Amino acid sequence: MRKRSWLLAAALAVLSLSLPAAFKKEDVRVHSLDNGLKILLLEDHNIPSVALYTFFRVGSRNERPGLTGVSHFIEHMMFNGTPGIGPGEFDRRMEFQGGRNNAYTADDMTAYTDWFPPAALESMIAMEADRIQGLAFVPEVFESERGVIASERRLGVDNDNDALLAETVRATAIMAHPYHWDVIGWMSDILSWRRDEVMAYYRTYYAPNNAVLVVAGDIDPVRTLELIRKYYGPVKASPPPPPVSTVEPPQLGTKTVVMRKEAQTPSFTAVWHGPSAKDPDFLPLSILAKPLLEGESSRLYRRLVREEELAIDVGGGIGETIDPHLFMIDVKPRPGADLDRIDRVIEEELAKVRKDGITPQEYDKAMNIIRTDFYQGLQTVAGKANQLGATELVFGDFAKLFSIMDDYAAVKVERVKEAAGKYLIETNKTVGKLIPEGGAQ
Amino acid sequence: MRGPARTVLALVLAVSIAAAALPLQAARQLPAPEKLVLKNGLTVYHFRNADVPLVSFRLFLGGAGSAAEPASAEGVAGLAAALLMKGTSKMDADAVAEALDFMGASFGIGAAEEYAQVYADSLAEHFPRLLEIAAAVLTDPAFSADEFEKERALRIDGLKAAKDNPGMAIRYYFQKAYFGGHPMGHLASGTEASLRQMTVQTVKDFYRKQYRPDRAVAAVVGDIDRDALVGLLEKTLGRMANPSGPAPAAALPALPRPAGKKLILIDKPDATQAYFSLGAPGYAMGDKITAAASGMNTLFGGRFTSWLNTELRIKRGLTYGASSSARNWAVGGITVLSSYTKNDKIGEMLDIVFDLLRKAKDGFGAEETESARNYILGQFPPSLETNASKAGAYARLAFYKRGFDEYDKYLGEIGRLTPEDLKAAAARLLPLEDFVLVVVGKAAEIKPLLAKFGTWQEKRITDPDF
Repeated sequence: MRKRSWLLAAALAVLSLSLPAAFKKEDVRVHSLDNGLKILLLEDHNIPSVALYTFFRVGSRNERPGLTGVSHFIEHMMFNGTPGIGPGEFDRRMEFQGGRNNAYTADDMTAYTDWFPPAALESMIAMEADRIQGLAFVPEVFESERGVIASERRLGVDNDNDALLAETVRATAIMAHPYHWDVIGWMSDILSWRRDEVMAYYRTYYAPNNAVLVVAGDIDPVRTLELIRKYYGPVKASPPPPPVSTVEPPQLGTKTVVMRKEAQTPSFTAVWHGPSAKDPDFLPLSILAKPLLEGESSRLYRRLVREEELAIDVGGGIGETIDPHLFMIDVKPRPGADLDRIDRVIEEELAKVRKDGITPQEYDKAMNIIRTDFYQGLQTVAGKANQLGATELVFGDFAKLFSIMDDYAAVKVERVKEAAGKYLIETNKTVGKLIPEGGAQ
Repeated sequence: MRGPARTVLALVLAVSIAAAALPLQAARQLPAPEKLVLKNGLTVYHFRNADVPLVSFRLFLGGAGSAAEPASAEGVAGLAAALLMKGTSKMDADAVAEALDFMGASFGIGAAEEYAQVYADSLAEHFPRLLEIAAAVLTDPAFSADEFEKERALRIDGLKAAKDNPGMAIRYYFQKAYFGGHPMGHLASGTEASLRQMTVQTVKDFYRKQYRPDRAVAAVVGDIDRDALVGLLEKTLGRMANPSGPAPAAALPALPRPAGKKLILIDKPDATQAYFSLGAPGYAMGDKITAAASGMNTLFGGRFTSWLNTELRIKRGLTYGASSSARNWAVGGITVLSSYTKNDKIGEMLDIVFDLLRKAKDGFGAEETESARNYILGQFPPSLETNASKAGAYARLAFYKRGFDEYDKYLGEIGRLTPEDLKAAAARLLPLEDFVLVVVGKAAEIKPLLAKFGTWQEKRITDPDF
């Protein structure tokens, strides 16, 4: 099942199980500057390329009504000029030196991802340090970029029924916490963000004491640190951003969302309030997601796609987040499928898990999947940079990356049943159905 | 996310990604593999990398792709590939799925146009078992009637679902509009009509005729040593047998060349955004224009600051992404431009696209040419960083009968590109008069904006097939 791109990278970030010998905690050099900037350096000469990843502790979690989507908008504006470097110049200079970049915004973080040849290192560090010290927010560019975001929303949500339903279900399940809205933000907010508010938001969150810099690949760590000191050292720390204090109140009964829209196929999704990444219940639910949802041998794929032929595909799981988020089951129903029947099948399967848990064979399968995904994510210098930074952001310590595998291995199989009984229950559930109307054959 | 070259290409041109990312690049970074030839004639290239305990396997099966399908059996290549996974004489479909999922392995078979590809990635400790399953499904498929019916129904429903997403649907419409009745116009997914008239016998016949080791080539890269691998390969893929008689002719007729403008409008009344794809003749795998074409495309629509993305996204905010790309096969290639915008802006967007196409005929500056050279050279190393990308490169190069020094030559040529080279590539590859243009959007709103471009054939998205 397709996930939205601006969520994807971070959601995939942090799995493990015994690490490759070539990548050890001791290989990561850790430094901090007086202004609070945290630095992680990893020397790896496998290819002549450097991955420079900058993570900021800001995402849609830090937003408020009227400013939804603004974290992602700033991600875009970071490429549109500073007092010293004109709009678009960051990309032009970088590409001229053989570099390429992207960026992503998630609920909890914003990450800037640069890949370039070693010769461009100083120039890239200089440009990254420059853009945390003030953006130009040129009014015409501001308006043009607003249009880009509106297009991104139309592409990713408004013209994608599954995403539209997912957004509504999320907003129904989560009432109070800012995870209520999607990272992209509401269209009316996108169309009305004010320049002064956006600038204030940027100033609050873009500061060295709210950032983690990861440089991995073909570098000399001593010289790299010197360059970082040279360009980031003079940057002033900011007051710490305000904490996110809202706690989602407990849900006391099933919520149901029904949408009607022109479509050929229905959409279906069900979610349950889940634990945060640091909660002891997180790992058991993460393990459960594999035999329940992943692959054609999973319980729900077998029932819904293969045996009852109600669905085209099944997916979901739980993402690693700072505050409690959702355990999700996404189903792509067949045209004309009975959505209530899909809901009943899911309930039947969850009832089995609550009663009997998962089998030892399923537990081993989950561990194999987790371990393989983890190694796959560490095959590249970019993957290593991303895992280090995202782990630091979500868990507060990159070293978790090197122990989380042991944590998984320590989860007893009975804990899966307990966690399912605690979270995947009717009173904690929101179910969403999109029913096709008109247009269909 | 902000990158069109990343997100959008992934959505719009999934099949061509390998070709686009590695048009014909790579250098000393692609180490020379060892060539192993099995007793049944299958060639396997091996390179050992013990950095991480993973192994990647790629197998290209020439002639098992959608372009080899009989005209009456569109989609059979994709269906055969999918059904291979659905059980053998000894394991049913559920047992195959369970065995693969248990290892956490990724394993799949997919039909491209000129070949079917088997991919398999796993932890090194699971690789022998994975290769055993690969051999079992390739040599002893059950092709049960029940699984055939299930897979066919799933595919028909999948095609309907695709029509709910205009960004996805336009790929199908474009392929049909551009290639028409040519075999390259066969949709790997099939169409509802073609799938309905197929039988399990159609699938069996295609498999028997087209899956043969004498037209295949494989590569294994990762944490496995040569001697262990040779024994393993003989026991597994060594069981693949060639059908009696010579391989069927693989040559395809020349690709169609649009004469004049072919304009097609697909009405999707609920769309809030209009999507376009514009295509014209490109170049074949190995064509000597390859390096110049990459340089030209980098500047025109292949990266974030490309002309297309600069004018449509960066300057005007009309879209999240605009790009151009090359798709290359042995038989030829195409150039495709694509983007999308709010319904009321599609006329403005296309005007700008045509302005840029005209402007490109005047060529590119020395500084931007240097930037394109640096960009391609700088972004090359990560494209071969993983076991999977190396295995894919070995198999692809061998399949298209290119040497493993192909990428050295390519990068050498990139380093020497001049503005004149790029101008010549633009003159040959960017269309002004002869092209196929498909738009998917809300006709009631966009039709008046499109009228000035010529006469449009219209279809409704709810009409059967594409």
